[in-house]
Amino acid sequence: MKRKKFIFFLLLPTLLLISFIILYPTISGVMLSFKNYSLYNFQNIEWIGFENFKVIFFSDPFYINTIWNTLEWVLFSVFFQLILGFILALLMKEPFKGRGIYAGLVFYPWAISGFAIGLIWSWLLNGQFGVINDILIKIGIIEENISFLSDPSLAMFSVILVNVWYGIPFFAIMILAALQSVPDSLYDAAEIDGAGYFTKLFNITIPYIKPTLINTILLRTIWVMNFPDIIYGMTRGGPAGSTEILAVKMINTVFYESDYSKAAAHGVVIISILFIYTIMYLKLTSKREFSL
Amino acid sequence: MKKKFFPKVIRIILLSMFFIFAIFPLYWIVITSLKPTQEIYSFPIKYWTNNPTLFGYKRLFEFVNFKRYFVNSIFVSLGASFASTIFAMLSGYILSRKEFKWKYSIILFLFFSQMIPTYLIMVPQYTMFSNLNLINKLISLVIIYSGFGAAFSTIMAKGFFDRIPKSIEEAALIDGCNEIQSLFKITIPLMLPGLSAILSFSFVNNWNELFTAVMFLNTSDKYTVPVGLYSIVSKAGVQWNVLGAGIVIALLPTIIVFAISQKYIIAGLTQGSLKD
Repeated sequence: MKRKKFIFFLLLPTLLLISFIILYPTISGVMLSFKNYSLYNFQNIEWIGFENFKVIFFSDPFYINTIWNTLEWVLFSVFFQLILGFILALLMKEPFKGRGIYAGLVFYPWAISGFAIGLIWSWLLNGQFGVINDILIKIGIIEENISFLSDPSLAMFSVILVNVWYGIPFFAIMILAALQSVPDSLYDAAEIDGAGYFTKLFNITIPYIKPTLINTILLRTIWVMNFPDIIYGMTRGGPAGSTEILAVKMINTVFYESDYSKAAAHGVVIISILFIYTIMYLKLTSKREFSL
Repeated sequence: MKKKFFPKVIRIILLSMFFIFAIFPLYWIVITSLKPTQEIYSFPIKYWTNNPTLFGYKRLFEFVNFKRYFVNSIFVSLGASFASTIFAMLSGYILSRKEFKWKYSIILFLFFSQMIPTYLIMVPQYTMFSNLNLINKLISLVIIYSGFGAAFSTIMAKGFFDRIPKSIEEAALIDGCNEIQSLFKITIPLMLPGLSAILSFSFVNNWNELFTAVMFLNTSDKYTVPVGLYSIVSKAGVQWNVLGAGIVIALLPTIIVFAISQKYIIAGLTQGSLKD
């Protein structure tokens, strides 16, 4: 009995706090999506069924666009974060002089606020005074300034580029740690058999660190999907909705339309997508355990 | 001799490219924050300034009251980080050491709470806190950030506890300590590096949080640093040396914290696991 009490008292504060801060608001957020609560309707809040979802899906000509943007944003961001993070981790695996300091400097983007990152890069990519344009012209890649953020066909590319910049360190950190755990003896044996670099990479390294890759990709996908900060700092979803992902749309619905129920409906769409994705992902990778 | 993953020259080139890609934006925002206004929009673009000025910083502190935002952010971030770390320490310990019926469900619950977009629950949280009369108060951010932090920090804490051998505690129990004594006298001191990692990780997250803060804080004497930046940007015609100065100030604490505890944060992220 004493043991049970001990467990109970040490777990209780955390569980209560999370229930109060996350669980209860989530449930009421989902319920909110079936009501008509907005700045213009504080008094007669009632159940309206799937009305908000109908409005979202059928009255918003841009919605399909937003979903497409979201997929593009998540897919390309995670893909390039993974590939470049992997390469960086491979490069950093062998010790070199000053590796600790190097790690601190290349990993720092990960500690910056997404909004600040968005601001910094919106200045770097500015069409008139941006230094990126200046550099590209000096190298001879382009001949005149490009409006990275005000050209709808380039804006999504730009925000993804910035998100990749932000996300490389996280993948690099996780993969680097996993790489350190691959036993050297495996490589030694392969080398005796005459295995080349890519043979070792695909036959030893990747299979060995697969669990880390699977978990990191899952976690990152969820975070990237839920991460409007960078886009908010750069374009707020514009120009012409070209960088509006679901998360940004939801924020805009809260801040500009003040239609809280409709915003909640966007949130429910996001959670549903994430939920289906997570289940399918775990089925495909046949993982029953998570690790971070 | 093991073969290296890449030939040396290619390695150096690639490492340098990653380095420049990572560092250049920071360099640029620092240099911009130090430029006099007329140089910011001048052509050709200057990669260096011969007339560095603290004009941007001065304006920031004289007209925008950035000092206030900074103090508020320190209060909120430190308060919430300490609170969530203490919660996480206790619950992480239990999840690492004890076997009980609901254990796996609780771990899953913590994991799935990471999936909830903060802005879905922002509005219900707002209603809850306004019923408690806690709107436009920094303490409400401390509570909310503690809750978000507690979930992830518990997972990290469990990972750290898993690495401390159980035998050490068992020895203490045999020597006559009770469980609580052994937790506080033996295990927690061993956990200090882990706890500092968890603390720093939460601090970085809390320091950077924007949208909940925008929603909850409505007078500028309560703004946190990200909300301050947000409000500067919302004003038309902001100068980039002023905004740059704001961004630099906003970055400083997280960069310092990250530099000090980077090693532990990385260990915490990669060791923290939900595996049983």
